[in-house]
Amino acid sequence: MSVLPHRRSATRSLRDDGWAGVLFALPHFALFTVFVLAPVVYGFYISLHRWHILAKTHPLIGLGNYGAALSDDVFRIALWNTVYFVVLVVPVGNLVSLLLALGLAGVRRFQTFYKISYYLPVVISIAVVAVLWRWLYNTQIGLLNLYLEAVVGGLRSIGLPLPAFEPLPWLSNPSWVMPSIALLSIWWGAGGNMVLYLAGINNIPEDYHEAAVIDGANSWQRFWAVTWPLLRPTTLFCLVFSVLGAFQIFGQTYVLFAPGSGPARSGLTLALYMYQQGFSQYEIGYGAAIAYLLFALVLILTVIQFRLLSNRDDEPSQANRRTA
Amino acid sequence: MRAFLRRAQPHLHLPMLLLAFLFLAPLLWMLSTAFKSPEDIITGLGAMRWLPRPVTTENFRSVLDKAEEFPIWRWTGNSVFISLAVTALVLTVDSLAAFAYSRLRWPGRDRIFSLLVATMLVPGQVLLIPSYLLIRHLGLFDTYGALIIPAGAGAFGVFLLRQFFMTIPVELEEAARIDGCGPLGILRHVILPLARPALATLGIFTFMGTWNAFEGPLIFTDSLTMRTLPIGITIFQGRYNTEYGPMMAAAALAAIPVTIAFLIFQRHIIKGISLTGLAGR
Repeated sequence: MSVLPHRRSATRSLRDDGWAGVLFALPHFALFTVFVLAPVVYGFYISLHRWHILAKTHPLIGLGNYGAALSDDVFRIALWNTVYFVVLVVPVGNLVSLLLALGLAGVRRFQTFYKISYYLPVVISIAVVAVLWRWLYNTQIGLLNLYLEAVVGGLRSIGLPLPAFEPLPWLSNPSWVMPSIALLSIWWGAGGNMVLYLAGINNIPEDYHEAAVIDGANSWQRFWAVTWPLLRPTTLFCLVFSVLGAFQIFGQTYVLFAPGSGPARSGLTLALYMYQQGFSQYEIGYGAAIAYLLFALVLILTVIQFRLLSNRDDEPSQANRRTA
Repeated sequence: MRAFLRRAQPHLHLPMLLLAFLFLAPLLWMLSTAFKSPEDIITGLGAMRWLPRPVTTENFRSVLDKAEEFPIWRWTGNSVFISLAVTALVLTVDSLAAFAYSRLRWPGRDRIFSLLVATMLVPGQVLLIPSYLLIRHLGLFDTYGALIIPAGAGAFGVFLLRQFFMTIPVELEEAARIDGCGPLGILRHVILPLARPALATLGIFTFMGTWNAFEGPLIFTDSLTMRTLPIGITIFQGRYNTEYGPMMAAAALAAIPVTIAFLIFQRHIIKGISLTGLAGR
């Protein structure tokens, strides 16, 4: 009896807060409107014009910039390089993150030390990371080639029939550039998804593993029968955001090859091309169109990933509901 | 049974240790190079040595001495100030907004919230050109404002805090209401004290994200004194292209503060990621 009137008055006063709600949301919403919503709309508007920053007029050309991009050879190079980077970095990077997480879940001692070691690169600025890896990748005196040379030399001296060591052209040979950038990007980012996978693994109820053990499953079978299917929401989340992030690759190639875009444009990505068009050539109409093409691509891929990965996830739960 | 399954697997330690070394090696090499003499960096055995012999601070001095060309203290100051200001702004506007979206009722609330969440999928590049024009138009170009004010517009913090606020029992709020608290009082005396872990997580991520931000500072500032540390590093590289000693010293100077912050707050950070699904960038 005494609870009900309280409840009612509480909900009524909640409703009475109508203006308070608007007022509290307003500071953020004002910033959001000016610096997110408006730019999203304005950017599309810009992309429909031939728009040079210094020119007095900017004629409307409809989808002209989009058509120009699709028949622009440099745009195609940038698109190809970006897609190539995503294809290299997303599957391998997620695999590395997952393996690190599985390793972490299997040890108790030194777990914090391992976690810190794998995660530390994530907190470091891409500018520092790229400057550092440009040094590691140095052909003559970079860490990687120095030690590879020592290893090859050592193996030859004990009689292995290896050819003499040729310095690897990490950043100087166009076909090495994207794999090299992918390697440094995986080193930089693997720790982030690792923590997410680890949280997903730790969320799997222990009973499921126990049941599998009782059924005689070894750890390999347990991974495929228990961990992997139950980790699917985590995997979907990590994949979607990895793809989203990888398509926006900019800092790596900007710093490694500043001010250009690598040998034979092999480091040119969509984001870098947008930057060059918009902020070096001042062709912001064209630059905005490139950004929107990137947006469209990412959106389509996100939808596809959701379809592919979450549908399969729904089936068993629906089946359960039907039997229940 | 639990003990059996969670039994430590000692055979994992060897690969894990090796991997830990592989992940740390580039950073250790950065430090090693930073403390090496120029001759050691380029010649045979010295170049392969992990412990510099002799240890020299020459590289750091040559970075810090070029204050005219490379105002690294100014850049550090800019990075500190901007990161602190953005963190304060984000925590303030986001906790007010998250309170409105989780605890107050007002027309259109859920629809607007969906709009916020949807924009989290928009790539940052889409915003750069229009924001640049906007920032110029508002007279913010090449000011601290250009790097601070737009940073308060993101939807992520609102989303994160709203999720956390919703887990706080309504009963506590009702008790405060009966005691005569208005919405602001409830936020200050009930919600915020209980949401400290979420606020700490958001604060740390915002600080680190701002400290490391690259594209914004690159595009929204252009004078040497308004740059932040990450941009400063690339300016330095552009000029000292092949002098790896000073370059690694500068890189180490930019990396050390975040590394220390990370080591102090690592428990919070790693818990925060699993709590929020934010991978740290």
